[in-house]
Amino acid sequence: MKPTEQKAHAPFLPGAAALGLMTFYLIALLAVERQPLIIGLLGIAIAGVLATGWLGLLAPVGRSFVEHENAFGALTVLAACVVAAAFHDNHFVLLLVVTVLLNSVATLGLNIQFGYAGVLNFAGASFLGVGAYTAAVLTAHTAVPHLLVLPIAGIAAALIGSLLLLPALRTRGHYAAVVTIAFALLFKTLLEVNDVLGGPQGLQVKGMEIFGWSLNDGMTIGPVELSFYLNYFFVSMALLVGAFILVRRLDRSWIGLNLDALRLDETAARCFGLNVARWKTVAFTLGNFIIGIAGALAGMIGGFVAPNNYTFADSLTLVSILLLGGIGSPWGSIVAAIIVVVVPEKLQTIQEYRFLLYATLVIVVLLFRSEGLLPRPMRRYIPGWRP
Amino acid sequence: MDPGLLAQHIMNGLMLGMMYALVAVGFTLFFGVLDVIQFSHGDVLMVGAFAGLATFLGLRHAGVASSPLLLVAVLAVAVMAMAALGMLIARYLVVPLRSAPTLNTLLITLMLGTVLRESVRLFYPQGADPKPFPALLPSGSIALGNFNLRLDNIILLAGGALVIVALQALLNRTKLGLAIRAVAQDQETASTMGINFKAVVLVTFGIGSALAAFAGIMHGLYYNEINFDIGLLLGVIGFSAAIIGGLGSIYGAILGGFLFAALQTVGAVALPFGSAYKDVFAFAVVIAIMAWRPTGLIREKFSERV
Amino acid sequence: MTALLTAHGLTKKFGGVTALDRLDLSVERNEILGLIGPNGSGKTTFFNVATGLYGAEAGAMTFDGIDITRASPQAIFRAGIARTFQRSRLLLPLSIFDNIMIGNHTRLSQSLWFNLVRRSAFKRELEASYVAARTLVEKFDRKLADRLLEPVGGLPMIERRRIEICRALINQPKLLLLDEPAAGMTHEETAELMDNILQVRALSAGLTIIIVEHEMGLIERVTDRCVAFNFGRKVAEGTYREVAADPHVQEAYFGVA
Repeated sequence: MKPTEQKAHAPFLPGAAALGLMTFYLIALLAVERQPLIIGLLGIAIAGVLATGWLGLLAPVGRSFVEHENAFGALTVLAACVVAAAFHDNHFVLLLVVTVLLNSVATLGLNIQFGYAGVLNFAGASFLGVGAYTAAVLTAHTAVPHLLVLPIAGIAAALIGSLLLLPALRTRGHYAAVVTIAFALLFKTLLEVNDVLGGPQGLQVKGMEIFGWSLNDGMTIGPVELSFYLNYFFVSMALLVGAFILVRRLDRSWIGLNLDALRLDETAARCFGLNVARWKTVAFTLGNFIIGIAGALAGMIGGFVAPNNYTFADSLTLVSILLLGGIGSPWGSIVAAIIVVVVPEKLQTIQEYRFLLYATLVIVVLLFRSEGLLPRPMRRYIPGWRP
Repeated sequence: MDPGLLAQHIMNGLMLGMMYALVAVGFTLFFGVLDVIQFSHGDVLMVGAFAGLATFLGLRHAGVASSPLLLVAVLAVAVMAMAALGMLIARYLVVPLRSAPTLNTLLITLMLGTVLRESVRLFYPQGADPKPFPALLPSGSIALGNFNLRLDNIILLAGGALVIVALQALLNRTKLGLAIRAVAQDQETASTMGINFKAVVLVTFGIGSALAAFAGIMHGLYYNEINFDIGLLLGVIGFSAAIIGGLGSIYGAILGGFLFAALQTVGAVALPFGSAYKDVFAFAVVIAIMAWRPTGLIREKFSERV
Repeated sequence: MTALLTAHGLTKKFGGVTALDRLDLSVERNEILGLIGPNGSGKTTFFNVATGLYGAEAGAMTFDGIDITRASPQAIFRAGIARTFQRSRLLLPLSIFDNIMIGNHTRLSQSLWFNLVRRSAFKRELEASYVAARTLVEKFDRKLADRLLEPVGGLPMIERRRIEICRALINQPKLLLLDEPAAGMTHEETAELMDNILQVRALSAGLTIIIVEHEMGLIERVTDRCVAFNFGRKVAEGTYREVAADPHVQEAYFGVA
């Protein structure tokens, strides 16, 4: 689209309508219990998406999201709050929502490494584990304020990541792949063998306390009882918003351009003065920092950490979310996280088969639509900017 | 150290080394010929072992009792089945992604590995439990002082060596081998010279997967047990071994395989709580080697056209 | 010492193949030098060694008085050498503006704080950079200058070459290396490209250019001086006419009569 021919901004309505519909649908899906109904709902969703695509209705929705991006960001946060409010006393659903939020954060971190810088990381879950174990140790043995525990856990993950860094800096992607896979496999073994960190049983993690307010306590406002998970919902939401803005701005800056350059053509990038090692390091470290924080928060919410939660299969799940949503696409990661976390939980029959399912789905995506559900759009440094 | 114990450790190391070498050779073959990282290679090994086990159970149920016959049947079925599987993988997953970024092929084979692993875990009867693997080799041994030199281990080692020698012969002395090497050197020119690229891809995958099946049966015969999980670690070890040996070099892969086994053995013996940390130790050294010599101890055969 | 770039005894081997064989070469300031020779004679290898992508086994290279024999590609770029590639290495999914900015990146603020937090300052830098890119592209192709936010992937070869040249020029290098710029182009496009190259020289005071080309018409028209390569060595030097008439050069291309 030529900048000089800019027409009036795309209408707001298609996006708003779509968002409203999706919120309503999500509430319905989360509320329904009976398996046949759930299968029906999922069928409606798939049919609905295919139909709207075929009718050409998806494009206007996309345009209105893109043109009014900041407004839709705020609206999505609002929609999430509506979903949370709808289930304000339902521990199970709220925990599910929080899991979606934290998986999204972790995937955003992975996106910086994988999607922007092209550095493969198959140990995402291990870095979640590093963050979680750091939180466990800090909350149990120190008086560090819990809000501070989060960034410290992030730093811990970043530091451990830097051990793997040297091979990861090597040009060819498969070095980083094999090193991170080895780390993912051995991380679990190391923790289990080591009684210092609780062995196979793991460690307990205290619930979060901010300035004396314990988030593990539910609240009662008048006649309404609020699940304590609602507290964690707000903290997780804040974390997701922060991570999202950071990832967005990173992409829409000269740094994002550098990362694209070194991912797409490292040789040319070097010939134009780009310090490839430096930027890969920044991306890898920043990504692990974010993943570590998500892991720490998840640990505090779950109340305990154990090696079994951070297996190679879990790392591959994060990679699957990233690929399904669209590599390099933050919105895609969130949508994929919703699908990957919610569907197996609701459709209990496929729980057992979920790893098989994720892997098969990713294979299909890679063969037929490698850009993912919401392909990464072209860079617009500043939304709505026209030169 | 007691020489008998030392000999036992050396034998362990050799056995492991042979297995790792076989896996590593597969990786290096795929990479050298097709620039493909086949991350499901270890899991193909596992499926091969299970195919062999199923064959054994079926034949024994049908009344076949002769060990040599069973062994031949198990090997034949595993090798042929995995060769077929390898070709299917090449045909439907690798060839279609030829023009996509190489990352996609790596990812798709990684996901395939999960599919194979989970399929065995979920669909093979009691797939999640370790399964006893029959002892089909002669069980005698030669006593050398404290050390028992087991006949079956010698046969396994000899078998592995034979397979590698046969592979080298195939690559260096046959027309097929020439075609494979031509494609490995320069795919474009090979095609213009009339070599059917797609056929070479399929055959290479078939051969590599057949190698994996052989290694899988070896694994079963050595440990007398198989498990749906064995492919993962073996695959990573095999791949690391191929890398430190220099991807694309068969000798490098063999060297890397035995080197990794040596590191594991040294780690198990020398470290306190050795057996738990031997893998960590071996990988730590391997990562250090990769950082020091990223193209491997024998140069990785790769040159990008600038 | 007026020579901008000199090579003494430069040797580069790939396994058994000697791509550069004790090469001696010097490039004068402000000249347009043509490098010709059959395929495999070492011309692109010379570029790759000059830009630090390959290390030489023996010999030395100096640029503007500095020894660049062991320098990294990044350091060589900062010293003032920029290049285009034989197979146009543009980032196809990215916009024209993005691609040009990669050539400019040493002048763009690189700190995390600036890029993530100081967004209004970033916007100002973005706008200034856009103007600079647009001004440069306008010199070659007015219409293209209006389309800077389009992806490069959809453009025809001649426009991609121009963008590649802009990417190399935006940082105002002292030496520009053009590697087969006319490859894949029609006669008309090649003629336009020749005009572009001459324009470039006219606009950039003090720019030295080395062109590797097989298209002799371009070499003849555009270059001041020519060097012919064969088997990694210089076999002739002089104006195009002189070099084309040289028996060694004719033997290199056509074989012994």
